[in-house]
Amino acid sequence: MTKADSNILEELANSVIEMDEKKAVRLCEEAMAKGVDPYLAISQGLAQGMKTMGEGYEKGTCFVPELLLASDAMYAGMNVLRPHLKVAKDSANYRVVIGVVEGDTHDIGKNLVKIMLEAAGFQMTDLGSDVPLSRFVETAVAEKADMICLSSLMSTTMLRMADFITMLSEEGVRERFKVMVGGACVSPSFARQIGADGYAPDALAAVRKARTLLEAKGTGAL
Amino acid sequence: MSEKARKVLDVDCLNAMLSRQKPARVIHWEMYPVCFAAIQAGKTIYDAYADPKFSYESQKRIARETGWLFQPIFPSIGGGWGGEYKLLKDDYAQAPIPVRYPVEDEAEVWKLEAPEVASLPSVKGSMDFCKLAVQEKIENETFNVTFNVSGPFTTSAELCGMNRLGRWMLRNPELVHRLLRLTTDHIIEGAALWWDTFKGADILFTLSEPMSANQVISPKQFEEFAFPYIKEIHEKVLAMGYKHIFCHICGDHNGNLPYWAQMPMGDPGIISIGHQIELETAARFFPNDIIYGNIDPIIIQIGTPKQVYEATRQIVEKGKAISNGFVFAPGCELPPKASLENIKTMMRAVEDFGWYE
Repeated sequence: MTKADSNILEELANSVIEMDEKKAVRLCEEAMAKGVDPYLAISQGLAQGMKTMGEGYEKGTCFVPELLLASDAMYAGMNVLRPHLKVAKDSANYRVVIGVVEGDTHDIGKNLVKIMLEAAGFQMTDLGSDVPLSRFVETAVAEKADMICLSSLMSTTMLRMADFITMLSEEGVRERFKVMVGGACVSPSFARQIGADGYAPDALAAVRKARTLLEAKGTGAL
Repeated sequence: MSEKARKVLDVDCLNAMLSRQKPARVIHWEMYPVCFAAIQAGKTIYDAYADPKFSYESQKRIARETGWLFQPIFPSIGGGWGGEYKLLKDDYAQAPIPVRYPVEDEAEVWKLEAPEVASLPSVKGSMDFCKLAVQEKIENETFNVTFNVSGPFTTSAELCGMNRLGRWMLRNPELVHRLLRLTTDHIIEGAALWWDTFKGADILFTLSEPMSANQVISPKQFEEFAFPYIKEIHEKVLAMGYKHIFCHICGDHNGNLPYWAQMPMGDPGIISIGHQIELETAARFFPNDIIYGNIDPIIIQIGTPKQVYEATRQIVEKGKAISNGFVFAPGCELPPKASLENIKTMMRAVEDFGWYE
């Protein structure tokens, strides 16, 4: 990698940290014009910036408003880079379906997890909030997903997660997907109780957990 | 409840603390059991909110069955700002689902007008609930009228979604301040209506602020966007005549405590904290108020009775050291689907360990 390329990648990361959408877009256009590998521009540029922001959230130096604007900058840049990406089928990234369970619309946590997983290279399908359990299953099957992430804030809707695990078994597809759960009321013991594969208390932990679960699963790549 | 405990009612202990005297024992005071009571009565959460009479009767019924301190409570003001909501009626439903927020872009912030509290459809039901509650007072009952609201920051987030509010906080703070002004005035208007209607009753002002926790915003953002508005509400409410504020500081507010500590809470206030804040920390920041909390509600919902008993013991033993008064309670709403066995176990542990020597 040339020094010039390295500088662009660092500036891309900074554009996310500075929450500067216009700068992210301009730098991505510049990077493409200079022949920088778009995959590197994402993974070592934009995503690095988002990772820094995520670490800041974990340390308590950066909060939801900053993460939201940083993600706007990241996605603005990614929109420039995506058409230039070449993804070979046999090296496809892990696919993840994520959403907030039916009856619940508290989606800040889910949005942050989605942002950080995407920054880490996972291919995300975000179903939004108030998602019927059957839709998680249908989408995961259709997308050939590797993992399903469920979020819930409320103690009542959280119980749907147990129903979801049962549904996967009844449909005969439990073994096809890793299931990770999270949300203010969810705990590691609850995750174990319902038979989920993993739990994460925040977005950056979700990335680490997802990597651990999917590397153990042994399909796809990051 | 044992005969020994029955001779010293929770309400007598609470009244002692409210008069700044030491009670005979730690009491248990349940946190927002509206939905739990409905499910225990064989109906749904939707029924609790749709039928104030049923809600009152179910809360009274469960208080009598368990022997716990009865505080009739119901959401006081809600809705009327516009938007579109879906109400689920199944076993898992707990809150309305916004299909469209009242505010979805910047222009709508400037056009938004606060609804008049007295004409809100929800207020009729809330008032009916309180009118039922003031007609009687059962043994072991406290504050038979509660004005119960979300704080201005949380209410503003509910008007437009935190995804928008968070972005506007950094990009267009004037939009957020406009929403905060409208919601603050609305809450004060509601508190005044309740005071004018029920001021002869044993009335409590309750405010919860989950969306301004540090899991969401920074202490500096709390200082700008939540603190001045909540403080204004507290000052005006106390000036109206409310004597005590029940302040539910929901979530991880550790970074915000220096600001909360500057707000008047009443004489004394009741500071409700979640498991994210240590009891000792709360006592340090609020040396003149009663500390209320803070078992993790999820332990009550999914823990074994042994886990519930032990968690309660640990909290009660820490709480007893708080010199200005301590009430054992969940750190947030009693989970609607908690088991009665766990509730009774919790109460037993409070009684086993809660006596002051």
